[in-house]
Amino acid sequence: MAFAGRSVELKRILESENIGLKEFREACFQGLDEAGLRPKCWRILLNCLPPQPARWSETLASQRKSYQQWVQELIIYPGEGQDDEEQRHDITQDDHPLNPNPQSNWSAYFKDNEVLLQIDKDARRLYPDMCFFQRPTDYPVKMDASGNITAAEYLRKRIDRCVLKSAAVVKNRSGGWNISGVSRKRTEYENLSESEEAHWEVVERLLFIYAKLNPGQAYVQGMNEIIGPIYYTFSTDKDETFREHAEADTFLCFTNLMGEIRDRFIKHLDESASGIVSSMNNLMDLLKSTDHVLWTCLEGMDLKPQYYSFRWLTLMLSQEFALPEVLRLWDSLFADAERFDFLLYICCSMLVLIRDQLLEGDFATSMKLLQNYPNPDIHKILVKATQLRKSRQIATGGSVTGIMIG
Amino acid sequence: MAKRSYDLLFKLLLIGDSGVGKTCILFRFSDDAFNTTFISTIGIDFKIKTIELKGKKIKLQIWDTAGQERFHTITTSYYRGAMGIMLVYDITQPKSFDNIAKWLRNIEEHANEDVEKMLLGNKCDMEDRRAISRERGEDIARQHGIRFLETSAKANINVERAFYELSEAILDKGPNKDKIPEAQPLPKPRSELSKCCN
Ligand SMILES: Nc1nc2c(ncn2[C@@H]2O[C@H](COP(=O)(O)OP(=O)(O)OP(=O)(O)O)[C@@H](O)[C@H]2O)c(=O)[nH]1
Ligand SMILES: [Mg+2]
Repeated sequence: MAFAGRSVELKRILESENIGLKEFREACFQGLDEAGLRPKCWRILLNCLPPQPARWSETLASQRKSYQQWVQELIIYPGEGQDDEEQRHDITQDDHPLNPNPQSNWSAYFKDNEVLLQIDKDARRLYPDMCFFQRPTDYPVKMDASGNITAAEYLRKRIDRCVLKSAAVVKNRSGGWNISGVSRKRTEYENLSESEEAHWEVVERLLFIYAKLNPGQAYVQGMNEIIGPIYYTFSTDKDETFREHAEADTFLCFTNLMGEIRDRFIKHLDESASGIVSSMNNLMDLLKSTDHVLWTCLEGMDLKPQYYSFRWLTLMLSQEFALPEVLRLWDSLFADAERFDFLLYICCSMLVLIRDQLLEGDFATSMKLLQNYPNPDIHKILVKATQLRKSRQIATGGSVTGIMIG
Repeated sequence: MAKRSYDLLFKLLLIGDSGVGKTCILFRFSDDAFNTTFISTIGIDFKIKTIELKGKKIKLQIWDTAGQERFHTITTSYYRGAMGIMLVYDITQPKSFDNIAKWLRNIEEHANEDVEKMLLGNKCDMEDRRAISRERGEDIARQHGIRFLETSAKANINVERAFYELSEAILDKGPNKDKIPEAQPLPKPRSELSKCCN
């Protein structure tokens, strides 16, 4: 179906009182690049919006309100019962390694700081080729009536404090502590005023809140690459009434998505059925039955799936392609009822599509190819993936169920 | 394919805490450039660079690993085949220095016994934020009997030298290099094996 026809069709589906999910998923699967429908459709596909548009405003209002509360509790007033700003800061500064006090709230606070520092390193490194994440958001979280202080300022101060502290309190060789007066230049924030927040700082806040609410996983590197494209999509929505709530809605969609893929981020689940090692093995099994020659060649070179597919599968390919391509790919992925099964077919089709180069190359050239996937034609990859799935379903005598690219 | 483009193949590994600058160091060495912001490494990255040393063309296969604990099960599988390991800390981050012992234990557990090691204190361009003195770096390296350099990927200090010194140490081991082919569980295509033996 032509692009124009597709978006008309999708709009019609979205206007019905009760969105038919099967029909809706099929339409989304074809891609949501046109007509600015992606943000809305992703919200539905990721269970942030129910299929009944009449319930949207009420659902959104309550979800956004909970998110606001988390910002308050976890970022603005992290030390319970310490609502006096002055006092809070003093106590934090006391909690350095010279004075470990396992009973205090602050040992937890201290531990959180490690998580925060890791998030900070990665949020800054999100899509460095694009200027978007460095630019200020139009919707910072304002902390005072005058709008001069933002929530980001709290995390900035907190990061500064713990960087300073760790630099100032340094263990010396004899086991004692050297306190040196190392000061940290604030160069990183120079381009933003206190009343502004960069988009990467919003991502940082989102990840920190997620880590606090999900202590079992906390933060694992790579989560930034999952949340990045979702936040980007929502905060570039043409519809302002949605765009202004990009942060809160991203949080919910990300949380729902992580609910499905979190096992891949947890080390002790690596070998479990839903863990990353099993996923990589499944991919190799799929390749073996799809293209035995290629599989044998990779095995022969000892080019292990960990070398490339660990990243492919953990990040749902978000580091392999430029952002517009990732968004297009995720349309189909989110739309598919068996989305993580389909991801395996996508990865397998990526291998098969460059089989000639892989068969010809030696270990080093093949590794380079797989780490920098050449000329990505997302449409071609998706068509191939749906074909692979279909022939596999036929071959194993199952019913042919997946959506095809029209 | 038949043309021999190098005499020897060395496998090097970069390890160390997240954010210390492993990817920047490798990028500086392979592309002679610095990027202030790099995407964080998930799993493992891979680069090739051919250098000349004592009249020999040496192909370096360099593996850049992810620093976060979560990835250790995945990344330690690369230790075994490595002939040289660069352990990097950040001179402005005491934590990354404290973790050296932990990384050395990883090497002991997972790498070949005769692997050449080198300790790098990176970001030495940031004098104003230095938290670990040069002497402390030298001391810990001496204690463990490993080479040491302070580097800056940003200001291009000692990066090339680090790779050359590590490669030279591997080269100087001499007879060991003949054992390399069989002893390598890390991937090595047959075509390449024959190249380095004649
Ligand atoms: N000033 C200065 N900054 C550096 C230097 N090397 C790296 N950086 C900065 O440190 C940050 C982290 O560098 P990376 O190379 O991505 O760190 P990494 O060790 O690969 O981190 P992971 O991939 O998470 O394990 C980058 O954003 C750089 O801006 C250096 O020599 N000097
Ligand atoms: Mg890296």
